Amino acid sequence: MGHYRTGILVVLVLAVMTVVEFAIALATQSVVFLMLIAAAKAILVIWFFMHVKRLWAPEGSH
Amino acid sequence: MAAATTPITKSIHVEAHDAHVDGHETYAERLRMNRLGMWLFFISEAFLFGALLATRFYLWGNTRADTNQTVGLIITSVLLLSSAAMYTADVAAEHGQWKVFSVASWVTMILGVVFFLGVVIFEWGLFPQIYKGDLTPWGDKYGAVVFAMTGMHALHVVSGIVLIFIMWRLARKKHFTAERHWGIEAAAIYWHYVDVVWIFFYPALYLIGTVVHH
Repeated sequence: MGHYRTGILVVLVLAVMTVVEFAIALATQSVVFLMLIAAAKAILVIWFFMHVKRLWAPEGSH
Repeated sequence: MAAATTPITKSIHVEAHDAHVDGHETYAERLRMNRLGMWLFFISEAFLFGALLATRFYLWGNTRADTNQTVGLIITSVLLLSSAAMYTADVAAEHGQWKVFSVASWVTMILGVVFFLGVVIFEWGLFPQIYKGDLTPWGDKYGAVVFAMTGMHALHVVSGIVLIFIMWRLARKKHFTAERHWGIEAAAIYWHYVDVVWIFFYPALYLIGTVVHH
């Protein structure tokens, strides 16, 4: 279960951010806020799920 | 003049020999190149999806189509869950837990199909006996943009499902090991990329702008 902990945490954060995004859309309709939240969510996925840092990792392992 | 052999040059020669055993790339080298190629592909795809996003803001401005909010939130959650399942499959492959990999791959594929059906039924209205949508690709700028954006994204969802299925089949045939499973990693990051695209499409299609009824 330990291997999957990071993924579970990231998914929970993404879920909370999606709810916040929805609430902001209902309350303010701010394009800037909504796009900033989308960018933050994308960064989380790119960093933790897509392992972008492996691109410059010295060893060629998974 | 013969080159002097120092410990440093000796080390370089040994590393070069290890890296190119009999003129062939090592797995580590190939993996690096594959990853780089995959990310270059993602960058090229970003231009395509970026253009669609720019089209939406150019044509719609601060308005939007009357898309179903509940459907939008549900299919977004489904895609997020599918990303979690794909992450589980990827990590399971890394640790040689092939049963977990198999189950997580199927969960990802099923959630991908649910997402696709959500778009096809509730946004495109292809099955009016279930849900009658009021958007058409040729009707107006709202229908055209919704179909272009969700259509291009759905094409990637379907290709992702096919890719995951191929990797699942190959894994069943013991094609991968915990140490060597680039195909699975590629399918996983491709699936997450599809999720990243939707992260931007969701607010653009469902949340930003005032609804224009048509």
